[in-house]
Amino acid sequence: MLRVFPCFTTLNELGNAKRMMIPFGQIQYRRGRTPMPRQLVNLLLMLAYGLAFWLTLGLAAHWGGKGFYSVWFPAAGLRLALLWHAGPRFTPAIAAVEILVNLAMGRFSITSPDLAMTLWGILRPVLAYGGVVALIRWLSSGRRAGVMAPPMPFSLAAVAAPGIAAFSALPEALLRPDRTAVESIQDVMISLTAFAVGDLLGVLIVAPPLLWVAETMSQRRIGMIAALRECAIRGSATLEVALLLAGGIATTWLLNRIGLGSQPMPLILAVAWVGLRFGRFPVWMALTIVSILVLPETAGAFSTTDRLHLHLDLATVVVVGYLAGSYCDAQKEARTDIERRDRLLFQAERLKTLRAMSVAVIHEISQPLSTLAIEAKHLHQITGGADDEIMRSAALVDRKAATLSNLVRRLRRFGGAAVDEPSALPVSALIESVAAIAAPEARDQGASLKLGPIDPDLVVFAQEVELTQALMNLLRNAIHAASDGNVELSGEKEEEMVRIMVTNRVGPSHRAKAGMGVGSLVAQAIVEAHGGHLEKAKVQDGVAHASIILPLAGDNA
Amino acid sequence: MSINDRKVYVVDDDADLGAAVARLLGRHGFSAQSFLDPVQLLDIYAQAPAACIVTDVMMDDLDGFGFADRIRVMDPGAAIIFMTAWPTTANAVDSVRRHGGIDYLEKPLDEARLLAAVSEGVDWSGRRRQQLARTATLSPREREVFDLLVQGHSNKVIAGMLALSPKTVEDHRASIMSKTEANGLAQLIALASPD
Repeated sequence: MLRVFPCFTTLNELGNAKRMMIPFGQIQYRRGRTPMPRQLVNLLLMLAYGLAFWLTLGLAAHWGGKGFYSVWFPAAGLRLALLWHAGPRFTPAIAAVEILVNLAMGRFSITSPDLAMTLWGILRPVLAYGGVVALIRWLSSGRRAGVMAPPMPFSLAAVAAPGIAAFSALPEALLRPDRTAVESIQDVMISLTAFAVGDLLGVLIVAPPLLWVAETMSQRRIGMIAALRECAIRGSATLEVALLLAGGIATTWLLNRIGLGSQPMPLILAVAWVGLRFGRFPVWMALTIVSILVLPETAGAFSTTDRLHLHLDLATVVVVGYLAGSYCDAQKEARTDIERRDRLLFQAERLKTLRAMSVAVIHEISQPLSTLAIEAKHLHQITGGADDEIMRSAALVDRKAATLSNLVRRLRRFGGAAVDEPSALPVSALIESVAAIAAPEARDQGASLKLGPIDPDLVVFAQEVELTQALMNLLRNAIHAASDGNVELSGEKEEEMVRIMVTNRVGPSHRAKAGMGVGSLVAQAIVEAHGGHLEKAKVQDGVAHASIILPLAGDNA
Repeated sequence: MSINDRKVYVVDDDADLGAAVARLLGRHGFSAQSFLDPVQLLDIYAQAPAACIVTDVMMDDLDGFGFADRIRVMDPGAAIIFMTAWPTTANAVDSVRRHGGIDYLEKPLDEARLLAAVSEGVDWSGRRRQQLARTATLSPREREVFDLLVQGHSNKVIAGMLALSPKTVEDHRASIMSKTEANGLAQLIALASPD
């Protein structure tokens, strides 16, 4: 239960804007409460999958037919949910489990002459699903993430995987029609359509709640529960959903009664409305209710074509409803994103004012401080032979004035020189000045700063003030997160780049602090403007590393 | 070196700071006096020139750079040091390149650097005054020839440029050499450059 999947936000988490910035598969903070060995977790996951797969496979048999794939295949939903949750690298394990379950159910025998073909038949859809998940994750990672705003990636995978899995069965169905006992091309097409429809229904009805549950468990967030509570509190919304759904069902039934056959249109309208207004969770509830009403009707003794016909209608309703819900959630995400940007903008304005103020204050202070430092030093010198008490006081005043002078000089460089052009900046100087600025804050937090190895020859071409700000933000996060109070700063060459790393130890109960997002966002923007990139804090064996990676300047590059 | 050769003026619109700097310099063997207003100093400067002037950059009526330019016109032999509470890279470069500053100091002042800069300024001023003294006795025509000589022109070219005969230029050149006590063209060029 280790990963964060930003594509699958639940209603109340839509406000959590930071998650939009995290590409897939990137582990941010592992918040696992238990140090249960990962192998054991994976084994349990696979056992649970095997059991659930076995149950759903038995269930699907009621909607199958001779030579036809089942038109209600919830096992596909399990498979996609697991792949999406655990990652495409689980594809081989899932394939093995499915083969074992099929064997245990007596669906094939290891002595069968067609063993290879049978195994391939079981493997093929698993590989197709794994491939689709891997592809969509790749598409929605890194720089491409911008065009794939959550919950788009999952929706895409949910719609694409069944289609691709069905399509992948086409060559075999054409070359070996005897294996599925269908003869004409028409039968092959019907069979594969049934495959796609069954998987589609299974995926869209079964996978979302599983992922919601998994997310709720892994992040100790109360996403699903909160969504349910929200539904309960917002009685009017629940009533609206119920009325729309009941209206759709009643109209469909009525149309059927007056001899127009089964018409999906009223239900499509109803679920599209629900989806567009309330998002994925309510629409999923509605779709589940519709499916529960339809599926028993079509199970068992029912002609295959009629069943396929009904399930095609059902699949249409489900896809439309789910896409409408996804669209609504994506809109909510976008709105939240805009709100977050507004807040950042506001913050930036305030910072600008604050900076102007602090520059003025620094100026005002530096005048009298100059006098004070000169006189204090003089006093210190002339009291050299005086009474011990006087001498010590004078020495103290001199030392404090000198410290204050240094501080003001450093602060001014930090706050006042924004007009300066980028220049060659030794990494060691940057790290030292940041360490000096952060020292008082570290002391307040009971943390100690340590400078790790820094190659003195490393030079970057940078706007010093901005880069100082970026590193400062990372350092500040580390100071607040450090469990044992030790924070280390280091700089090292890494091919043509330099890596400036902030390291701290985090406790097992480590959680991201509120407000941590803005600092790293600012840092990220600055570092990217310098042609580098930011690696946000990653935790490995209880140690968090956050890095700024910048191109080297000059001869070192 | 007489006491007057170590005369330093401090100009700052913060009276306390000006006085503190002047007293500091006084303790280190300079004859320092502080001024609140650069215009006041300009009024008396002709009568009492100094080896070095330490001036603030941001002041009310006349800023440090404008003040330095006016001092330069009156006295090319005075060293100027700028100090400021609003340091910028652009000003730091300008202070040295365009306004002939010896150094550009940031407030709060680094005492060691201030003292080093003032020492350097006083030394520079001494050398510069000697150079100026050696070329001060040149006649206007000799001055013209001198200026062209140190730019590297030959007698013949100078004669052409000033519409004189090469022989006359030759005479001026000999006179310049004797007045400045220079031993060859290299020393002449050294006299013409401020450093």
